[in-house]
Amino acid sequence: MKFSEEQLRKLALIAISELGENASPDKVKSVVSKAVENANAERIVMDQGSSNSTGKIILTAFGLNRPGIISAITKEISVCNCDIHDLSQKIMDDFFTMIMIVDITNSSQDLKDIQERMFQIATELNIKIYIQHEDIFRAMHRL
Amino acid sequence: MPYDFQEVLETIRMTEIEHFDIRTVTLGISLRDCSDRNAQVAKQKVYEKILRYGSKHVQYAKEIERKYGISIANKRVSVTPVSIPFDSFGIEEFIEIASAMDKAAEEIGIDYIAGYSALVQKGMTNGEKNMIMSIPGALSSTKRVCSSVNVASTKAGINMDAILMMSDVIKKTAELTKDKDSIGCAKLVVFCNVPEDNPFVAGAFHGVSEPEIVLNVGISGPGVVLDAVRETGRGDLSALAEAIKKTIFKITRAGELIGREVAQKHNVPFGIVDISLAPTPAEGDSIADILKAMGVEDVGAPGTTAALAMLNDSVKKAGLMASSSVGGMSGAFIPVSEDQGMIDAVKRGNLSIEKLEAMTAVCSVGLDMIAIPGDTPATTIAGLIADECAIGVINDKTTAVRVIPAYGKIVGDIVDYGGLLGLAPVMSIRELSSANFVNRGGRIPAPMRSLTN
Repeated sequence: MKFSEEQLRKLALIAISELGENASPDKVKSVVSKAVENANAERIVMDQGSSNSTGKIILTAFGLNRPGIISAITKEISVCNCDIHDLSQKIMDDFFTMIMIVDITNSSQDLKDIQERMFQIATELNIKIYIQHEDIFRAMHRL
Repeated sequence: MPYDFQEVLETIRMTEIEHFDIRTVTLGISLRDCSDRNAQVAKQKVYEKILRYGSKHVQYAKEIERKYGISIANKRVSVTPVSIPFDSFGIEEFIEIASAMDKAAEEIGIDYIAGYSALVQKGMTNGEKNMIMSIPGALSSTKRVCSSVNVASTKAGINMDAILMMSDVIKKTAELTKDKDSIGCAKLVVFCNVPEDNPFVAGAFHGVSEPEIVLNVGISGPGVVLDAVRETGRGDLSALAEAIKKTIFKITRAGELIGREVAQKHNVPFGIVDISLAPTPAEGDSIADILKAMGVEDVGAPGTTAALAMLNDSVKKAGLMASSSVGGMSGAFIPVSEDQGMIDAVKRGNLSIEKLEAMTAVCSVGLDMIAIPGDTPATTIAGLIADECAIGVINDKTTAVRVIPAYGKIVGDIVDYGGLLGLAPVMSIRELSSANFVNRGGRIPAPMRSLTN
C-alpha cells in the first residue's frame, strides 16, 4: 500500500492530536496503525484513486473582461476549501483569460460539484469556465 | 505554470467540443465455475456471480466520471462464452442462462451484457450446437444479451458447416424479432479470428485465457481525429499520418488512465485499452467524415480503402506507443447504421456492400450493422460470411459480419433502432446464388503462410 504525501500528512496530524506531548515510539505505532485501518475500512484517506493521482484540477476561464471575475472565482474556491497552487492570467484586448491550478484534496466537494458551482458563476458573469483533472493533462501531455 | 496555454486549450477542446469520451468500460467475468448439471442451479450461480462482481460497476464508473470530468458512455459486462461452462445443456436450458444474464444485467443497471458466445472455428461439440441453435430464442426473449460466434481462424481455417448454421440462425433471429425491425440481428456477430479481450459489445466476451475478472476499456474519439485531420489542411499524407498519430496517442493515454482508475476502484486487474475509433450516430462522431476530410468526395469513392487503411494503421501505431496494454480490436470501426456519414453515403448510392467488403480488409472489424432485404436466402448470407472470413483468415486479422436481413423489408426501406444502434437503409445485395458452393459444407483448410503473393 502506498500513501501520497497528503495522506501521510493527515496520518501525522491524527497522531499528533491524539498523543500531544506524550508520544513514544510504541504509542505512535499503535495510533498510526489504527488510523490506517480506519482509512481502509472507511475509504476516506485511500479513496483518492491511484497513489500517483495529484488531486489537482486545472481551471480555465475566459470571456469578455469585466471587474470581479477573479474575485468571484477565488471566493468560491476558498468556500470549497481548495488551495490555489498556480495562476496565470492575461488580458488580451478586451478578452480575459486565466488558467489556475487548484488543489482539491482537502475539499469536501468533488470535481463535479466544483464544476457545477463554477457553471453558476460563469453564467452570472457571462464567461466560460472549464475544469478538468490534472491527471488527464499529465497523461496526455507528459511522458 | 507546468502546462502551457496550448496544451490546456487542446485538452478542453477534445473533451468539451470534439466529444472525446470513454466509449465503454467493460467488466469481464468468468463463468467457468458456474457449471452445474441442474440448469436452475446454474442459472442461479450465473445470476449471483454477475451480481457479486458487477453490482457496483455503474456506480464506480460514475464516480470516476465525476472525478475526472470525462464521460464514460457505456458500462457493460462480458462473460465467458456460455457454450464452455454449460456444454451439457440443451437448447431450452441455454435460453434459461440467457434470461439469467438478462436479469442480472437489468439488476446492475447496464444496457448490454455480452458473452452468449461459442468458438467453433474447427468444429463443434453437442453443447455448442445446442447453444448456436438457441440463439434466435435467446435474443428474441431477452433485451440486453448479445451473442457472438467465431467460425473461422487463420490457424483452423473456415468452418463452413458453422457458417451455414449461423446464416440460418441470423434469418431466424430476424424473423423472431420482426416487430422490432429484426433488432435481434443487431446483437449477433459472426467472427473470424475473434479477439478474447474485446470490450466492445456486441462482440465482447471474456476469453478462456482471461483471469477470473478483468476490466477492459474502449476509448473513442472520431470527432477528435476529424478535427486533427481538418487542421492539417492540405498537408501531404505523411503529415496527415503524423497528425492522426499524435491525437490518438493523447486520447489513448487518457483512456488508459480512466480504465486503470475504474479497475482500481473495483480492486480488479486492468486488462486492455481498445483504441478503436467507434462512431455513433451523433453529429461529428463519424468515421465517414474523417475519410471525407482526408480527401475522398464520399465514402465509396476510389481511394476510400487506402484512406481507411492509413487511418487504421495510424491509430494502431499511436495506440501501441501510448500504452503497453493495447488489445481488443484497436482500429477503425465502419458500422453503417451507427455512423451518419455512412448512412448518407448509402442513401446517396455511393457505398455498396462490395466496397464495404473491400474496406473490411483494412479496417479493424468487418461488415457491421448492414441491413439487407428480408428475403435474402440464407445461403447468400453464408456466402457473405464466408467471403469475410476468407479476408480475415488470409490476412491474419479479425473480421466479422453483423448483418440484418430485415424481415419484410426491401431495398430502400429503413430500419430504425434509435439510440446507439442508429438506423440503416436496406442495401442491395447481389442475387446471384452461392448455394452450390456453401452447401458443400465441411471446412476450408487453414492457409499457408509463406509465398504470400
